[in-house]
Amino acid sequence: MNHAEKAEVFNKDEAKVNWHDKALWYVREKRDTSAHKVQGWEYLRELGSSIKANVLSNLDEYLIQFETNAKKNGVHVHWASNAEEHNNIINSILEKHQAKKVVKSKSMLTEECHLNPFLEKKGIEVIDTDLGERIVQLAEEPPSHIVLPAIHKTKEEVDVLFQEHLNTKPSQGNPEYLVSEARKHLRDKFLKADVAITGVNFAIANTGGFVVCTNEGNADMGVHLSKVHIACMGIEKIIPQEKHLGVFLRLLARSATGQPITTYSSHFNKPDDGKEMHIVIVDNGRTEQLSREDFRASLHCIRCGACMNTCPIYRRSGGHSYDYAIPGPIGSILSPGKDMKKHSSLPFASTLCGSCSNVCPVKINIHEQLYKWRQVIVKEQKQPVVKKSILKVAGVVLSKPSLYGLAGKSARFALKHFPRFMIYNKLNAWGKARDLPEVKNENFDEWYKKRNKNG
Amino acid sequence: MNGIKKEIKMGREAILQSIKKNKPDLLPLPQINEKAFDEDINLLEVFKNNIALVGGSIKEIETKAIDAEIKTLYPNATQIANTSAKTSLGSIKISKNTDPHSLEHIDLAIVEGELGVSENGAIWVTAYNSIVRALPFITNDLVIILEKDKICLHMLQAYSLIDKRERDFGVFISGPSKTADIEQCLVVGAHGAMSLTVLLV
Repeated sequence: MNHAEKAEVFNKDEAKVNWHDKALWYVREKRDTSAHKVQGWEYLRELGSSIKANVLSNLDEYLIQFETNAKKNGVHVHWASNAEEHNNIINSILEKHQAKKVVKSKSMLTEECHLNPFLEKKGIEVIDTDLGERIVQLAEEPPSHIVLPAIHKTKEEVDVLFQEHLNTKPSQGNPEYLVSEARKHLRDKFLKADVAITGVNFAIANTGGFVVCTNEGNADMGVHLSKVHIACMGIEKIIPQEKHLGVFLRLLARSATGQPITTYSSHFNKPDDGKEMHIVIVDNGRTEQLSREDFRASLHCIRCGACMNTCPIYRRSGGHSYDYAIPGPIGSILSPGKDMKKHSSLPFASTLCGSCSNVCPVKINIHEQLYKWRQVIVKEQKQPVVKKSILKVAGVVLSKPSLYGLAGKSARFALKHFPRFMIYNKLNAWGKARDLPEVKNENFDEWYKKRNKNG
Repeated sequence: MNGIKKEIKMGREAILQSIKKNKPDLLPLPQINEKAFDEDINLLEVFKNNIALVGGSIKEIETKAIDAEIKTLYPNATQIANTSAKTSLGSIKISKNTDPHSLEHIDLAIVEGELGVSENGAIWVTAYNSIVRALPFITNDLVIILEKDKICLHMLQAYSLIDKRERDFGVFISGPSKTADIEQCLVVGAHGAMSLTVLLV
């Protein structure tokens, strides 16, 4: 199913779609309020963007510097070209420690690499510990948003899910009760875990350290209670110096949820005494994206989700309609680079309004890249016959004013006098699920000329 | 194990070569003009407001009043782990060798913060302050004692102030743990501390 078809499924429950739309717009508004309070916000975005541009232009050197410094601190550094290597490296670390119980805090990369099913097949218990992630894990669904993984679920649905899996009492979706039960359930998992896996928000080349941001404290509960910490990062997570965190941490949470900073910004440099710390640096298609000049800047992304919250399509189609680990506008420019055939409908899931680019904290030109992907896809992918022929006809008509005038006249006549089935059919995408506007007898050009004569 | 090592090395070389081949020409690393972020504000007041905004509570008191204050605020706390020399409270001994799992039922942890950030109410707490890294997270309630002349304007200043530290583990804590993962309803008390009180001295 392509994006539009999946969106149609999501839109079956109108009340839920309306709620989803409003809830995300509310987060966008909180982002605005929070950003406007910061002196020099636009300059901060500018800095974020140009630091990331420098990073990409010197990425190999920064990664080597990061590796050297991390090793000096007693951290094990691993490199993985793809998802398979990433998963195998993690499995080998788990095997070395005979680990059977793993707690994981949010990591879109492990989602991208499908780590959970890989480890589960090997008989390892992997528990997602971010509450939203735990909810979707229990529901056997992927996250639908990178910051708010269970935004597509109602509290009543969570209630039922918890009754089934955590033996909770029916509470009609009382959030306080459900969170307190999840706290108990996950605390037990933290206390019994052998290994903690986390993502990485920022890795710092000049110190070899890295930062993980959470609101719940789940990354820290996992890491500090288990004997081994494995942190997984895409190569683009590098920043040159620690002081640059002063730019990115100011941008991240404000753009994501409107908070001035996440509750916990944890700085890991050295493993605790008697413990092990591993970092897995992953490519998985990123160096290929780096080679594409038009799409390179998509690697600036700091995974705040602001582009999703603001996107009129995302808000009304839901994260699952994108069928990719990273949904929304940013996912729609990252995914075609990974598998153009599978994700060819995503760059079209946009009105090109540019709102995503306007809120992006590192100033990725998302809507322009969406437009550019469309051009690539149309050239390289077979397009539906209807769309292709209509566009061909439109090309001819639009290039000849007389033909355009005639076409307009016929269309106006048709809309007025033709029976419904001739207008509302497969050929007319604009007439799907909506009525076309009432037509006037003349077009704008005729109306304008007449108006001038009269005036 | 040999096979794995070989594979890892291949990954490294392949990635670095691919980057070298695909990266654009070197772009300059921008200089940060910190003056652009200057604001003439009352650091202490803004800090206090932001602590409240992120769900914490804050009080300015004399050092000698800390014990009484904490007893008033947490009358039922019996399992108290304290790592600060500014208060004599504490019923549980904490050392570098304490197994963090043994802190599972701590009611209250008292630690010192090294630095406060006015723009977001974040307080820098290191492994040196908490002795056991898990302590500020696993405790039910958390008190952070902070000297009021240690509040800076924003994160850029904060990083220059902590630049010379011993780097092992440190965390900016801004408020109690929280989540909005169920229908966007904010619930305070997720996996970390259920409440945060900042005592400014």
